[in-house]
Amino acid sequence: MTTETTSPLIEVRHLFKEFNNSRHRDLKVLCDINVSFNKGDVAFIVGPSGAGKSTFLRCLNRLEEASSGEILFEGVNILDKNVDIDRHRQKMGMVFQQFNLFPHLSVLSNLTIGPIKLQGLSQEEAEERAMKLLKRVRLEDRARSFPNQLSGGQKQRIAIARSLCMEPDVMLFDEPTSALDPEMVGEVLEVMRELAEDKMTMIVVTHEMAFAREVANRILFMADTNILEENDPENFFEHPQNERLKAFLEKMI
Amino acid sequence: MSIKENLYLNFIKDDRYMYLLSGLKNTLLITIVAVVVGILLGFLLAYIRSTHDKTGKLKIPNLIAHLYITVIRGTPMVLQLLIVYFVIFASVNIPKIIVAFIAFGLNSAAYVAEIIRAGIMSIDEGQFEAGASLGFSYTQTMLYFILPQAIKNVLPALGNEMIVLLKETSVAGYIAMDDLTRGADIIRSQTYSAFVPLLMAAAIYLFFVLIFDRLVKKLERNLKSSDH
Repeated sequence: MTTETTSPLIEVRHLFKEFNNSRHRDLKVLCDINVSFNKGDVAFIVGPSGAGKSTFLRCLNRLEEASSGEILFEGVNILDKNVDIDRHRQKMGMVFQQFNLFPHLSVLSNLTIGPIKLQGLSQEEAEERAMKLLKRVRLEDRARSFPNQLSGGQKQRIAIARSLCMEPDVMLFDEPTSALDPEMVGEVLEVMRELAEDKMTMIVVTHEMAFAREVANRILFMADTNILEENDPENFFEHPQNERLKAFLEKMI
Repeated sequence: MSIKENLYLNFIKDDRYMYLLSGLKNTLLITIVAVVVGILLGFLLAYIRSTHDKTGKLKIPNLIAHLYITVIRGTPMVLQLLIVYFVIFASVNIPKIIVAFIAFGLNSAAYVAEIIRAGIMSIDEGQFEAGASLGFSYTQTMLYFILPQAIKNVLPALGNEMIVLLKETSVAGYIAMDDLTRGADIIRSQTYSAFVPLLMAAAIYLFFVLIFDRLVKKLERNLKSSDH
């Protein structure tokens, strides 16, 4: 294993998030989170529902606005109000539970519109890049299809390819298989596994424990608004320290 | 009087059909210009309103847009037309048709705005998030992803608004604008026979309403074929 001495890719410092609207008054979701992710990390975040896993992930690219704290992404505090978050989001791909493909665009256009409009690629360059990625997720024959003609598993693989088409430095996965029929989970996990093998930095929120154990290099346990334990997969599952984690793992089996 | 004589009296004699023809020209012209004005201004209003609803920004513009839409939708079209003509442009010598363009355009904008806003709000939040997560700004997301889908969803309502507007222009006679309805009425006042000219005008309105309807349906089908 190589040890890198460079600063982490993402560094989260004292992150707080509370919801304050008509439905939730002063609901604390994240409470003083401190964690960092290095380049090449494949970090899985697991934990019971309502622990704040998705909220935490969505704070990383500011789809959710944190209440306070710092998130340094490639050295820049992206929670700073003066930061152009759109630029940084280009470098942070995100895959959603509900896929969120653009239904009015073809599969190919779903992939190419970002590089064309935001990175100034020509149509040909963007399509070349997109076709490579479609091949990688084994859907190159669906380039001219529309999202609604695809199965859930295919949609999610397209969604992954769409994010990759921006050539991000990190990929955020927000329960990517939770909305899928069981028989389609495998094909999506397969793509994610290959991505991890290619040293893509990934932060994954999931309930797929077996997959986490197999692919992750770090697993974080979130419960009660904070990260309660972090370890490598082996020790995480075999020697859990935190009582909440022990209870959680017991329920899982 | 036979039907033949009746038709001759009302349409052929003294070239009376010209009242209908030039009236129709004005009616269509007002409708088309008002639709264009309505859509342009309506989009702007809808953008302001939904941006405020989604992000909480544009507070003051939203207040103005909200007030505008409320007043326009809460008062009669005829009255708005009279106010634009006799109050706003009272001391300005301006062609009546321009007044009609403005009055009907401003009116239509309020309705179009609410239609488009409803369309924008109907789009799943995930579409906004997908756009944002790729690095698109709010305005770009709106332009490339939200509006194309929103417009497709509200196309029938927009077509309906155009049809309503076509019929609504029949009140243009209140400012002595020679539209289709007024043309028929002038014939009536000259020939003292109401049945034929008024029914003829009604038939012409109906004809164009059906054409508009057909066009909108066709457009809808074309848009649908790109999205299964």
